[in-house]
Amino acid sequence: MPDNVRPQSGDSRRDLRGSYGPARHHLLTSLFGIEGLHTLSVYRDRGGYSSLRKAMFEMAPEDITAEVKASGLRGRGGAGFPTGTKWGFIPKGVPGPKYVVVNGDEAEPGTTKDRYIMENSPHMLLEGILIACYAIGAHQAWIYLRGEYDGPFGMLMAAIAELRAEGILGDRPLERDYPLDIQIYRGHGAYICGEETALLESLEGKRAQPRARPPFPAVKGAWGRPTLINNVETLSNVPWIVAHGGAEYAKFGLGTAKGTRLVSVSGNVQNPGVFEIELGTSFREVIMEMAGGPPPGRRMKAFWPGGCSAPVLPEWGLDVSTDLDEVARAGSMAGSGGVIVMDDSHCMVRAARRLLQFYAHESCGKCTPCRVGGNWALRTYDRVLEGQGSEVELGTFDAIQESLQNGRCLCALGDSAGFVIASTMKHFRSEYEEHCLEHRCSVEEQVVAASA
Amino acid sequence: MSVTVPRGTLLVEAAKLVKVEVPVFCYHHKLDPVGACRLCLVEISPGPPKPTTACTTPAAEGMVVKTDTPLAVGARADILEYELVNHPLDCPVCDKGGECPLQDYTFRHGYPTSRIDAPRLHFKKPIPLSEKIALDRERCVLCYRCTRYYDEITWSQELTTDERGVHSYITSQFDQPLKSVFSGNIIDLCPVGALTSRVWRFESRPWDMDHVPSVCSRCAVGCNVTLWKRRHQLVRVTSHENDEIDEGWICDRGRFEYTHVNSPDRLKVPLVAGAEATWEAALTALLEGVQGRKLGIFLPQDITNEELFLLRRLVDGPWQDARVALERRTLLAPPQGETLPIKDLDGCKAIVVIACDTADDVPIVNLRVKKAVSKLGAKLLVVHPGHLDLDRWPDTFHVRPNPGETAEAVRRLIGHELLQEGPVGILYGDGHGAEDVDALTQAVVDLAEAVGGRVMPLYRATNERGALGVRLAGRQEDLEGCDAVILWGPGRPPASARFVAAWDSVPRPEHEGADVVLPSATFAETQGSYTNLEGRVQFLRPVLPVTPPLREGWDVLCELGQRLGMPDMDYLGIFHVQRQASRAVELFAPLADPPAPVPNPTPVLYGPARP
Ligand SMILES: Cc1cc2nc3c(=O)[nH]c(=O)nc-3n(C[C@H](O)[C@H](O)[C@H](O)COP(=O)(O)O)c2cc1C
Ligand code: SF4
Ligand code: SF4
Ligand code: FES
Repeated sequence: MPDNVRPQSGDSRRDLRGSYGPARHHLLTSLFGIEGLHTLSVYRDRGGYSSLRKAMFEMAPEDITAEVKASGLRGRGGAGFPTGTKWGFIPKGVPGPKYVVVNGDEAEPGTTKDRYIMENSPHMLLEGILIACYAIGAHQAWIYLRGEYDGPFGMLMAAIAELRAEGILGDRPLERDYPLDIQIYRGHGAYICGEETALLESLEGKRAQPRARPPFPAVKGAWGRPTLINNVETLSNVPWIVAHGGAEYAKFGLGTAKGTRLVSVSGNVQNPGVFEIELGTSFREVIMEMAGGPPPGRRMKAFWPGGCSAPVLPEWGLDVSTDLDEVARAGSMAGSGGVIVMDDSHCMVRAARRLLQFYAHESCGKCTPCRVGGNWALRTYDRVLEGQGSEVELGTFDAIQESLQNGRCLCALGDSAGFVIASTMKHFRSEYEEHCLEHRCSVEEQVVAASA
Repeated sequence: MSVTVPRGTLLVEAAKLVKVEVPVFCYHHKLDPVGACRLCLVEISPGPPKPTTACTTPAAEGMVVKTDTPLAVGARADILEYELVNHPLDCPVCDKGGECPLQDYTFRHGYPTSRIDAPRLHFKKPIPLSEKIALDRERCVLCYRCTRYYDEITWSQELTTDERGVHSYITSQFDQPLKSVFSGNIIDLCPVGALTSRVWRFESRPWDMDHVPSVCSRCAVGCNVTLWKRRHQLVRVTSHENDEIDEGWICDRGRFEYTHVNSPDRLKVPLVAGAEATWEAALTALLEGVQGRKLGIFLPQDITNEELFLLRRLVDGPWQDARVALERRTLLAPPQGETLPIKDLDGCKAIVVIACDTADDVPIVNLRVKKAVSKLGAKLLVVHPGHLDLDRWPDTFHVRPNPGETAEAVRRLIGHELLQEGPVGILYGDGHGAEDVDALTQAVVDLAEAVGGRVMPLYRATNERGALGVRLAGRQEDLEGCDAVILWGPGRPPASARFVAAWDSVPRPEHEGADVVLPSATFAETQGSYTNLEGRVQFLRPVLPVTPPLREGWDVLCELGQRLGMPDMDYLGIFHVQRQASRAVELFAPLADPPAPVPNPTPVLYGPARP
């Protein structure tokens, strides 16, 4: 990615809501910024772990799942699968262990929301995990944490130690005969480790390569046992839902996408950061207002609405809402909520090449289209950018993007590589034609002219 | 076309039944499907409007599978194109050329023209994976058959993948040479020329060879093999899948121990006192040498049933007092009653392996045990003093008795919780001499009775069952005190020997200074049959002609018989011997019905060399 598109870095434990919040719809982040929230005592003072108590003493496991279903919560990891439905897939009454695995790999470029949660309120996540364990009949949970996340690792370890000391984790949590344990597993440092089945392989100590589905993890997951995999943000919503009821949660958002979500805005915006928004807010509000829009004198050109794995949208996409289905109708995906913004100083062919480099590098190598196609596309981009393109290259891009999408690859990483090519070609075909046929780049020419 | 298949049948297999080719790289019918190569894409309805991998999708009631939609055809062609993006163009010197699925699929399913415009990526090559196997990473299509085979079938972690993306490559663990005795199967598995036999490398092209199905001569399991010849040389041995025995696997002994057949040192002419002689003169010298002496006969482990039968006749007649030893034999007695066939290991709920390192003694039975355990869920109990590869299964229950105390340890298993559910298979060896075999066998029989199991004695020598069947399976020690010996195969003459006749295919140090040397035919030339450890008679099919003056063993034994005054040893041919043997010896009854000669071999079209 060009230098000026950099994911937010540094300590995220600060109130990023700025002038915009706190507001009625701040469900996840309402307490963020309170001194000492990451400690058990402050979290409990603010009502923490009352949802766990409610779940374990006042609700049957099926009731919890029913509430989550009623809330309309959909996965925040990328695919947006209805969370309650996923919980319902875990078989009941089978002998032997079941597991909850938390996807904290957060390797999607432009996405930093899970870290924001873990560093602000680790106990909120842990409470959500324990409720999920109880709801599906698991006693053991793993947090698969991005290997590079030292800060969150330390905070989660400290939080888990507090829970052990207080007896909330252990043989008799809250004095009930329902042993619970959470372990942290530090990730193996590849993007593919976040793909749920590759994550399971990695958790088992193997090479992180996706598995063919079916069988789905709900049936045959970690060590061949039924396993629930949810994203950090997804589970962090659960304490609120249990406390207030699914119906209350469903009052936020619209259509089939309920509640609120965290969006991480990065790139050419004046106020990058993580924002909690009500689903259905328009991208114009997110990018131009919350994140302050592009720097003065520059024009918004394109943005990736759901991490770079979602197809890019041009400027008109600002009027699309963050509702999952509406983003899909606009030809993209709400994905992980990572919004990457590029202004008019960016050549889209060059941007696509940089993303392709990422996907070619991160391809696990298991399936043929992604392994070979990604690299072939990258080399083709290189040739085009060196001014050696022609009509043939346009054809090659087209052939490769098609062969990467729509179930041709084993996992969605390959599709994402295809999206990069397909969506940039669809919305910015003239730039491709310039590069391939005229061997020039008008964006570069403009930038040079402006700075001259 | 429509087809009805058993529940769970994968679409690739169902397609074979209606003779529709769905090309595959990563799929192999003996490995768990992984859906990695994406070559087998088809469209199904009802189903999503996108292609589906036929290798991971089971057929369902009413499912419509389309293999020839533009989407499916294009998806396959794309994959084949991708496999060629970085593939070297060394087909003209590649051992796989001619039996290469990548070539054949590209011909049948690929694009007619190439769009590949980028320079190819390169790897250092070839890399020796072991003494026997070379790896060419540029040819590899990363189907992971080889690594999956190592993990799933052999339970050893010797082969793995390193790096990622297009730079991924197959490598042995920590770059150490492969040690497994099962390594060679990856050559058959590899759908391209990435894994080749260093023994056969650059020897011949597949279309340049003739091949026949035969039986391996290296141990008592009796795996089926294909023998490949080119210009009077045996150039390759591959598996010939037989699901009742080997399921398409052979061990490295069976695959690679054949080069003596082509040795320039091959004995072709009889020698008497070191000088070339006629068979007439040599057999005369032999008969004179053993005349009036205490005779001992050493037999090779791969002696055929027919030769055993003829020898039995000699030992019943003129050579009445002769003692006989068999190479590599165990101390096990002939089995009493029914034994467990190898294929029935699949149905066992529990398997007990006693006093035998199966990986060494009966390699392919070892793989079948592993399959029963890791794929079919059988419990595994091992009684053996040492550490075995079966211990790699985390749930193996291993009892380690002191040598000599195995029988008691076996008795203690009676009532064991893992043996509550049958059928139970009980496999036992002889502990390589450390055990009182009678006591051990009795303990095994008692255990079998107590838990309702069936036993499988693990004989070691190729035709030990046959030799036991005609009571010709003594030990090398039994020859002590003999003053004339006939050493057929790799036997040592006892100190007492005054006269030594050596009968072998190549000279051996043990045979140094023999009075008479007879050349023998090998498994690749001789007609006949073996009885495997489960008592199954299987026929050898010679791939090489017996060129005079070389003679087959049965033929020489017939002449010896006639010279010793048995005129009815004048058989008309091997069929005649077989017919008589089938009537005389119960175990040899199947000899009455030898298989028809092989039809002209069909050309190898695709897939591992498994015609
Ligand atoms: C290549 C790839 C990378 C992924 N990385 C992540 C990740 O870092 N974090 C995450 O939560 N989900 C990631 N996912 C999505 C997961 O596979 C899975 O859908 C998600 O964890 C399910 O949780 P949810 O239902 O709570 O969203 C990734 C998917 C793919 C294909
Ligand atoms: S699409 Fe790419 S990352 Fe996913 S399985 Fe295939 S090679 Fe691996
Ligand atoms: S070496 Fe052969 S069997 Fe192994 S992955 Fe490569 S192509 Fe497949
Ligand atoms: S054969 Fe089906 S994906 Fe490889």
